[in-house]
Amino acid sequence: MESLISTTLSAIALLLKADPDLWNIIAISFQVSGFALFIAAPPALLTAFFLAYGRFPGRRMLISIFSTLLSVPAVVVGLTFYLLLSRQGPLGDLKLLFTQWAMIIGQIALCFPILVSMGHSSLQAADKRAWETARTLGARPLGALMTVMYEVRFGLFAALLAGFGRIIAEVGASMMLGGNILNYTRNIPTAIALETSKGEFIQGIALGLVLIFMAFGLNILLHHVQGKGEVAS
Amino acid sequence: MNADKTYIAFNNIHKHYNRRPILMGASMELKGGVCKLLTGPNGSGKSTLLQICAGLEKPDQGELSLGVGMIPWKRCRRSLLEKIVYLHQHPYMFEGSVIKNLAYALPGDITYKERLRRIEKGLEWAGLTPIANTRAKSLSGGEKQRVALARAWLRNPAVLLLDEPTASMDQVARQRTLDLIKRLKQDGIALLIASHDPMHFINETDQCLVLKQGVIHEESPSDWNLHNITPIQRDQEINYGAS
Repeated sequence: MESLISTTLSAIALLLKADPDLWNIIAISFQVSGFALFIAAPPALLTAFFLAYGRFPGRRMLISIFSTLLSVPAVVVGLTFYLLLSRQGPLGDLKLLFTQWAMIIGQIALCFPILVSMGHSSLQAADKRAWETARTLGARPLGALMTVMYEVRFGLFAALLAGFGRIIAEVGASMMLGGNILNYTRNIPTAIALETSKGEFIQGIALGLVLIFMAFGLNILLHHVQGKGEVAS
Repeated sequence: MNADKTYIAFNNIHKHYNRRPILMGASMELKGGVCKLLTGPNGSGKSTLLQICAGLEKPDQGELSLGVGMIPWKRCRRSLLEKIVYLHQHPYMFEGSVIKNLAYALPGDITYKERLRRIEKGLEWAGLTPIANTRAKSLSGGEKQRVALARAWLRNPAVLLLDEPTASMDQVARQRTLDLIKRLKQDGIALLIASHDPMHFINETDQCLVLKQGVIHEESPSDWNLHNITPIQRDQEINYGAS
């Protein structure tokens, strides 16, 4: 117990010392995952909208497929894209393997189903009258879509947070696609895995604390934008 | 838009839900400054017909005329959305104040000053000025209906479709809503009011349409006044006058 406390205190000291290697790892993590979310969110939310409001053959099957993809392990996604991006793979000529772009692609694949499924749930629960009222008051389909999304913004924001939480903390795809190269593709989870395997717990705990604080901060933000967290009167 | 010259005819509208026929060749005409009352029992398809007329719901089959010749519904959907405003039984209020809700109905290409002027006009028109900054979702049913009518008025539609506009309202709220409907009619807007309790609207009504088994039958409101009986009551063989 003493050792755990002293290691944690050393980890906090390391964070406060502004160790450049440590903060570089944190910056890479946020940069890669933030960019992946930024690219994935618009098409994912659009897909969610079509699944909620569209009536076309195969719609239910698509919803089931996205729900199934939620439970695919990150390492399987990593393996799939590793095979696609490796030299012998069909996308080998792009030379993306072990770059931040490869990590971004993997993370897009990981957060896309979360954004679609959670976005779909929020949009499906939206009042149908919101869409109809917007349309009858002259909004074009895109304008009405934005209106409906604004009406269910808290649910969509929660979907974005869940997607971000999933990709910033995943280790399998980042390790396989990024290669854990210091100052280039080493992010928080791959660094934790490496430092722990070396018996260097201080840096691992410091990075773990960053993830915990980030999750806490994002949840406080979500509750703040949602209001008081009470049933509306 | 010269609402007085409005003429829209819907012809042979068919609609099925889960293989159950709802509309089976419903036809009607709407004219500027004329108020028609669409009645029929619950579940007879009044709301569905209104939504099809507003371009919000697709019919299985149907055509319409905007003055010259019949055109398939599919090809006129955009025109319907531009010319017609549909009001739900319980109007939907967007997140934000009454002002923000009225602003939603205004075109995007007007100046900020003009926008404010029109919103102010809308607030005055519906008597909403005292609650202009109130969150629209927190309003009472009657107030929401007035916001919805003001929104529709600001949109300057050729046709306004109202689905049970005074349902579950008290006497005061109902009268205020009816006053606004009367003013919309005076403005030359073509009105179609769907209600299963039509006696509230009898003074404003020029023609009654009864939706029965998916088909519309035209009736004169004077018959109802004469016997003080609605078609539904008549169909149920309840002698309203004798009770």
